[in-house]
Amino acid sequence: MPRVAAPVASVRSDRIRLCFAAMWGGMLFALLGLLAVWLPARLFAGYPAPAVPPRVLSRRELATLAAVGDVLFPAGGAVAPSGTQASIPAYVDRLVAAAQPRQRWLMRALFALVEHATLLFPAPGGPSGLRRFSRLAPDQREAVLAGWQHSGWFPRRLVFTSLRALCALGYFADPAVLRSLRLAPYRIDTPICEADLLYPPIGASRNGIAYGPEDLTPPSDGTPLALDGPWMPGFAEEPR
Amino acid sequence: MSVGDLRVFADYQRDFREEADVVVVGSGPGGAVVARELTEAGKRVVLIEEGPPFTPQDFVVDGGLSMARTLREGGLRSTLGTVMPTMQAIALGGGSLVNSAICNRAPDFVLERWCGDFELARTSLADLDPHYDAVGKLVGISPTPENVQGRRNLLFRDGCDALGFESEPISRNVRGCRGSGECFTGCRARAKQSMDLTCVPDALRGGATVLTSARVEAVECDGRRATGVVGRAVAPFSGRPSHRFRVRGRAVVLAAGCMATPVLLQKSGNLANRSGQVGRNLQFHPGVGVMGVFPDPVDPQFGATQGYQSRQFLREGFKLETLWAPPALLAVRLPGSGLELKRRLADVPHAAVWDAIASCDRSLGRVEARRRSFDPRITWRLHPEDTPILAHAIYRLAEIFFAAGARSVLCGLHGFPDEIHSLAEAEPLRSRPLRPGDLVLGGNHAFCTTRMHGDPTLGVVDELGRCHDLENLWIADSGVFPRCPSVNPMWTIMALARRTAHALAGRL
Repeated sequence: MPRVAAPVASVRSDRIRLCFAAMWGGMLFALLGLLAVWLPARLFAGYPAPAVPPRVLSRRELATLAAVGDVLFPAGGAVAPSGTQASIPAYVDRLVAAAQPRQRWLMRALFALVEHATLLFPAPGGPSGLRRFSRLAPDQREAVLAGWQHSGWFPRRLVFTSLRALCALGYFADPAVLRSLRLAPYRIDTPICEADLLYPPIGASRNGIAYGPEDLTPPSDGTPLALDGPWMPGFAEEPR
Repeated sequence: MSVGDLRVFADYQRDFREEADVVVVGSGPGGAVVARELTEAGKRVVLIEEGPPFTPQDFVVDGGLSMARTLREGGLRSTLGTVMPTMQAIALGGGSLVNSAICNRAPDFVLERWCGDFELARTSLADLDPHYDAVGKLVGISPTPENVQGRRNLLFRDGCDALGFESEPISRNVRGCRGSGECFTGCRARAKQSMDLTCVPDALRGGATVLTSARVEAVECDGRRATGVVGRAVAPFSGRPSHRFRVRGRAVVLAAGCMATPVLLQKSGNLANRSGQVGRNLQFHPGVGVMGVFPDPVDPQFGATQGYQSRQFLREGFKLETLWAPPALLAVRLPGSGLELKRRLADVPHAAVWDAIASCDRSLGRVEARRRSFDPRITWRLHPEDTPILAHAIYRLAEIFFAAGARSVLCGLHGFPDEIHSLAEAEPLRSRPLRPGDLVLGGNHAFCTTRMHGDPTLGVVDELGRCHDLENLWIADSGVFPRCPSVNPMWTIMALARRTAHALAGRL
């Protein structure tokens, strides 16, 4: 069969398609390039180094906790210390370190979710509301947490409840907070009972049992603790 | 003082084997009572506990860290389906180390229903009373004295009195309570008579071997007989496994708790499950807490953790009681954030917290073993018809608060005002339906996953606790309850365990 030349219109159309493909490809490439720069920057850059080296949490997790803690417990008000003054991030770091791997993973996933979910649930204020949680302005942070707290969707409320629970645990671990609310634990002179002759402290072997029969003391006689009695060492600023 | 042998994690230097008449798995109120009774009957017992013994030096008063140390999954265990936290202890003494020591006999009407619905012939209150009496004497169960009630408990009594509701001081296994309110983090006054202070030392005196930080991973069988258990030593807190062990016995008693016992059976080749009931029928007493704020200081940090209760509404499906916990745990449920939250924190010295536990026996779930973990997968759903029980309970608590003089009440419900100032504002609780997600629930009493039933096709054990499928495998924890007991279960667990121990001793 004689060879038939392609019509001029068809050749042009192929060229246009090629141009479009190159343009889309270039845009996609540029987008991926931007993403490759933006993603690590969003995830890792610009977090301040903590004053005390943490046990397990990263500096970005500590920054998230500090930001959340100060929204939940701002400075001033009826109980003076703020979340960061009450060392919420350091406490949660201890708590996460004490947790088993699965729970540790869950807690850390929670912190990452809150830090970056502003992409899905942005704070008010236009494009700045898409910044990660710890980079938002204080009023934007409040709005974001209120969104979690009052959501009609139970899983979102659960995120807020879990986060607030962890921060509340940290806030109430601070002796100054407990003192100001008169909720510090009492000093109790623990009697030595027969069972104390059986068990070593955790981590020690049986040779580490601290007491012998000569150390036994009378059991508690049920005398009520005095309401204004002394606080446990470590919680008392000075003896009352 | 001991003639038995107690081992802790640091004592395990190599793999080891033991022999006994009876292997008891779990040292909570079920296992510890079984071990004590069997040693008293002259049997050689090996009692195995996955957690370590806690001394007063090991107690941490901080609520969060204490939970991370004494509870499974660091205190973060929760159900799937209807999400609800549930706490199970991992310590010598089990839950008795960190519960608030409440002891109630199961009500007569509950036991009658058990007997009627589950083909049980010897589980009436009259049948169980001798066992209740014996363990009650053993662990010093008595009503909470008034001088350690503290104002937050007595306000509950006053509110009930004003409304004509029945109320009573809670009976507890406590001797010499000083009102520190620290039951949940370990009693520094050594007043709570937890199993590690009572039955375990008794078992040791009777010659038992107690292996702590030892996790049983499977029950071994030969035909229709259990021959013993195998497992590994595990480091306290981290759960890191180390040396292996095997303990052989003429009988095996599983008392690892309502969650761990079915997992152990499932991981042992779906043992004792011809009925298909292992891990099924899971029930809780879901609980709700309500806070009331009073005009005058309540000083809630003083007083028995849970000192007063009302059984007025048991037949309507709930029991009311007072509650205290480490302030951090109570603050978890305060609404709001920012300065509003701080204002509410400042109210805590003027506040009391009371709670209700509900008998939601239409709300069922199941416990399943995970492939690479000994932590269970727990699924449970609050039945829509059980939700009104909880709403009614919250209403009654608000009613008692206002009758006792509270100026405001925080009900802790989604879609409901954070704070109400009169009972009229609580009226929607009686008319508007609640969804399970509206409630902040907690469920620490768990039951029925290896339930007793007279018919072997419908239950895992008979009413004495012996497995229908294996002649020498017994179960002695709250999993054997055929239905939730409507009241705090510890005393009933101990009473049933004592009966199981005596039945077993008679057969060896």
